[in-house]
Amino acid sequence: MKQELVQPHAYVALRLPSDSTIVVQVLPNTVSTISIGKYGAFQANNILGRPYHLTFEIRDSVTSDGKAQSGLRIVPAAELYADIKDEAPETPTEAEAGNLGASGDGVEYEIVGQNGEVVMRTNRRITDDPSSQIMTMDEIEALKAQSTGSGKELIAKILESHSALDQKTAFALAKYTLRKTKKYLRRFTVVPLDVATLARWILTDKEPMKIMELREEILSMIGSWSNVHCTPSVSTPSLDGEGMQTKGGRWLVVDETAGLLVAYMAEKMAILHPPDHNGEEAEGKVLSKQETDAVNGDDSIGNPATKHVVAPPPDHLRPRKTSGPGTTNTITLIHANAQPNLSLLKYFHFDAFNPSISHPLESHLKTLSWLQLLSPEDDMGCAEPEIVSEETIQSWKSGKRSNHFRKRRRWERINFVVDETRAGEFDGLIVASIMNPVSILRHTVPLLRGAAQVVVYSPTIEPLVELSDYYSTGRRTAFVTNPPDFNSMPTEDFPLNPTLLLAPTIQTARSRSWQVLPGRTHPLMTGRGGSEGYVFTATRVLPAEGKIEARGTFKRRKVDDGVTRNSSRQENAASGDSGSMEIDAS
Amino acid sequence: MAISSSFKSSPFLHCGPNAETDSLAILHLKRDLLIPTVLRSHDELNEGYSEGKVSNTRFGSFPHSTLIGVPWGSQVRASIVDTGSRGRKGWEGKGKKRKRDKESQAQDDVAGVEKKQKVEVESKAAVKAATGFVHLLPPTPEIWTASLPHRTQVVYTPDYSYILHRLRVTPGTVLIEAGAGSGSFTHAAARAVYNGHQNTNTEDSTQDSIMKRWGKVWSFEFHEQRAQKLQEEIEEHGLNGIVELTYRDVCQDGFTPNDTPASELKANAIFLDLPAPWLALKNLTRASPSSPLSPTTAIHLCTFSPCIEQVQRTITTLRTQGWTEIEMVEIAAHRIEVRRERVGLAEEGLRGVNDSPASVDEAIERLREVEGRSRIFRNEGNEGEEQATAPGPAQVSKQQRLENIRHALEGRKLYKEGRLIHRAEPEIKTHTSYLVFAILPRGWSEEDEELAQGKWPAKAEVKEENGGPISKRQKKKGAKTRAGGNKELEIEASMKA
Repeated sequence: MKQELVQPHAYVALRLPSDSTIVVQVLPNTVSTISIGKYGAFQANNILGRPYHLTFEIRDSVTSDGKAQSGLRIVPAAELYADIKDEAPETPTEAEAGNLGASGDGVEYEIVGQNGEVVMRTNRRITDDPSSQIMTMDEIEALKAQSTGSGKELIAKILESHSALDQKTAFALAKYTLRKTKKYLRRFTVVPLDVATLARWILTDKEPMKIMELREEILSMIGSWSNVHCTPSVSTPSLDGEGMQTKGGRWLVVDETAGLLVAYMAEKMAILHPPDHNGEEAEGKVLSKQETDAVNGDDSIGNPATKHVVAPPPDHLRPRKTSGPGTTNTITLIHANAQPNLSLLKYFHFDAFNPSISHPLESHLKTLSWLQLLSPEDDMGCAEPEIVSEETIQSWKSGKRSNHFRKRRRWERINFVVDETRAGEFDGLIVASIMNPVSILRHTVPLLRGAAQVVVYSPTIEPLVELSDYYSTGRRTAFVTNPPDFNSMPTEDFPLNPTLLLAPTIQTARSRSWQVLPGRTHPLMTGRGGSEGYVFTATRVLPAEGKIEARGTFKRRKVDDGVTRNSSRQENAASGDSGSMEIDAS
Repeated sequence: MAISSSFKSSPFLHCGPNAETDSLAILHLKRDLLIPTVLRSHDELNEGYSEGKVSNTRFGSFPHSTLIGVPWGSQVRASIVDTGSRGRKGWEGKGKKRKRDKESQAQDDVAGVEKKQKVEVESKAAVKAATGFVHLLPPTPEIWTASLPHRTQVVYTPDYSYILHRLRVTPGTVLIEAGAGSGSFTHAAARAVYNGHQNTNTEDSTQDSIMKRWGKVWSFEFHEQRAQKLQEEIEEHGLNGIVELTYRDVCQDGFTPNDTPASELKANAIFLDLPAPWLALKNLTRASPSSPLSPTTAIHLCTFSPCIEQVQRTITTLRTQGWTEIEMVEIAAHRIEVRRERVGLAEEGLRGVNDSPASVDEAIERLREVEGRSRIFRNEGNEGEEQATAPGPAQVSKQQRLENIRHALEGRKLYKEGRLIHRAEPEIKTHTSYLVFAILPRGWSEEDEELAQGKWPAKAEVKEENGGPISKRQKKKGAKTRAGGNKELEIEASMKA
């Protein structure tokens, strides 16, 4: 369940006045403070147990024993917008310009108000002069060191000592105030680190390449087009009284964004956050305490001091029946390296190498390598460890015994995942990989059920253009009219079977942020450049057996142009678009 | 909740392996031509087809008996259906229909199915036609958005994806939607909030249903007919129980559904697609006793307005009512077409190509040819005999050349010739609407703050981790005591330590 209050050990995002974000882990009861750079520092306990989305102000206070200590004050929402006068008319006049800097709680920025002439000021008489700010950097620093407050007094002083402040236009003044505010106001907002915030933080503040420059707009589009959603294992009572288990909800993913995509999917499938202990949002499986203990002892590979000494009976190797690999609402990840890179999942308290049993991803996320998928006989992990008789096991030392069971369990799990994945019937495929999508789709599209959605993300368009071309109407038509020998696939002309995907589409989206202030509404002046980001979507279909011919209304052609007509007809036959010529006859 | 006993899961949320009777299905004709239809084993409208219910499309007729039970995603052949002899009362002449433009024809195809006619017919099995096919798809919010009957401006996929993302809508979210309109957002939201049905889990109620937060969409629409139509769709699509629609003007009458007091909604996400969203905001404060907002969570809000003036008024109001993190964005999305562009003299006379010279070399060759011909022409006037002795390549007639090109076409693989290019779709949506986002933090009183301070006292001096190096074991022990028996935290803490 998403938490509404800041929990101990949670990762949170702090949004600073400068619009940058930092991510910290909130460790309870520690003396060491959380530092937010030039804005100051505060204690973790000061935000623990408080709701998210509150804005705090750092103020230094003095404790009883005379030690300086920073405290936090919650800034009321009204105060956040104190500087914005919404009643102002569309074009601020001289008179209002004077009010712009006035802050709500008694601190005035001492701006000279003119005598109310309704003239809009321009910058024609302002000369660029760096000396107009009388205060020097040192003076400001000294003031900063002295001040204990929120920084508002400091900003007021800085504005006061600007010699040409009265020449500034309302817009320029507002901008100047805002700039100083961003620099000196000691405020921050605590934001929950959910997938969206995480994605934005990595894209703008951390390392965009790590997540393949995946922008939020595109990420959300991937979510929609892949149709990924929660599929709770519902037992629908059927007529004959037998409970029928709903199957499905299995998504296949190739994720090279360090786990961002997996986290995003997991959030949409309600398997990202461990269930609350008070029972809220208990997603299906709440383990009994006993089971949790039993397995924790066994599973902590990195923890040799396992207390689980009594070996389980061999016919009951998996004590956690309930949390074996799930069969619905699951994510199957195919990775290119020996181990999957899911490092970003740590922000959701999931460690892929040592998963906690109480985390839903433990049973709902399955991983396998391309080697395990395509050639399991060559993979060490897929080779069955020898079966040892019970007496032999009993004669072993506990360490060896648990090692044996761990190996067998791991093999069982890998085997299960490999078999299940190779059996296919996935409900969707999402790809965000730097590998050639053609090679990925060649092996994964056949694993999808009919009507499954395919979504391929690429930061640049070229790989997707190539991919689309292999599914073009012309190529499909040629494939159907003159099918190559299926054993010789992929051929040079047909690297992929073009009849397996319907309506391949490339699209992109971009959001544009606006500044909305009275009389000063416009799009932001700058934005992130870099990769645009594109999404390829298509639907897996099951082509009909045998020859199939399209029917439909064709464009009118010249009657005498016999050859052209024939060739076009041929192109048209059995295209996935049911024989329409309008789109892509050319 | 008022879920009928004949509960059936929605094909939007659980589509089985095969198309089932009474399920909404989409006949995919081509990229932008999708026909939604409810599969029926019998002809409920009694149209007089001997095959039962039939969907007629411009790519053939499809009796539903050939669709039911087929795996989703299948390519299905058309059948030979006698559409002519069953009498056509109220049906316009066929010749007329042919002439109408294609888009409206698609609508007619559906309408044709719905014409009522009382004719007694013997049922017979469908016979496959030689040509024509469709792909049979289960509905998704994206497909539905592309094929739904427009009643108002539709919230398209790029917009609703981003909105749901920014509203942090996840399974279990309770979302209020005001201005349901055509229902595209409603369907997408239903998929996003869905985490099971309240009453289907009664079997394993032992552990599961303890206070679980069920995802829900509380939808409001102030236009009576639209509300009615959408209600029918919700039922037909098996979304009742997840979507609860109320015919009401939320600006005037507040967010009170038909059978539930507003205070029980406990919504944590709000989407307003209203002409004057700022008027509805007064009903979305925490103070009011009939507040539909969840008291224990932050509220995410989005308004969807096409005009900048609406945005300004909305934001002004939001600022006065305690909303924070106010942001306005617009989404520009477009599709990209990929095709092969063939340029060159070798394409002369073909369709869909550019038959001008592909390179300077080709241009020069062509110029030489023309030059040569005109020289011959000039020579013809002066010394006519010389020309006959020197027949150049330029002598191939244009007709002959075009013929050759056409013949060569047979053996060419056009799908891999030319240059692979991409470009934006011919018409792009440059503006849909402005999206205003805001967050209302959870209410936090002085007492709450005091409690929190009591629970997490500010540390003036805690020595705990300053006592020099400690062994791993000690660290673990420390973590255990700190976690206070909470197994998960303990593991975490020991990992940190």
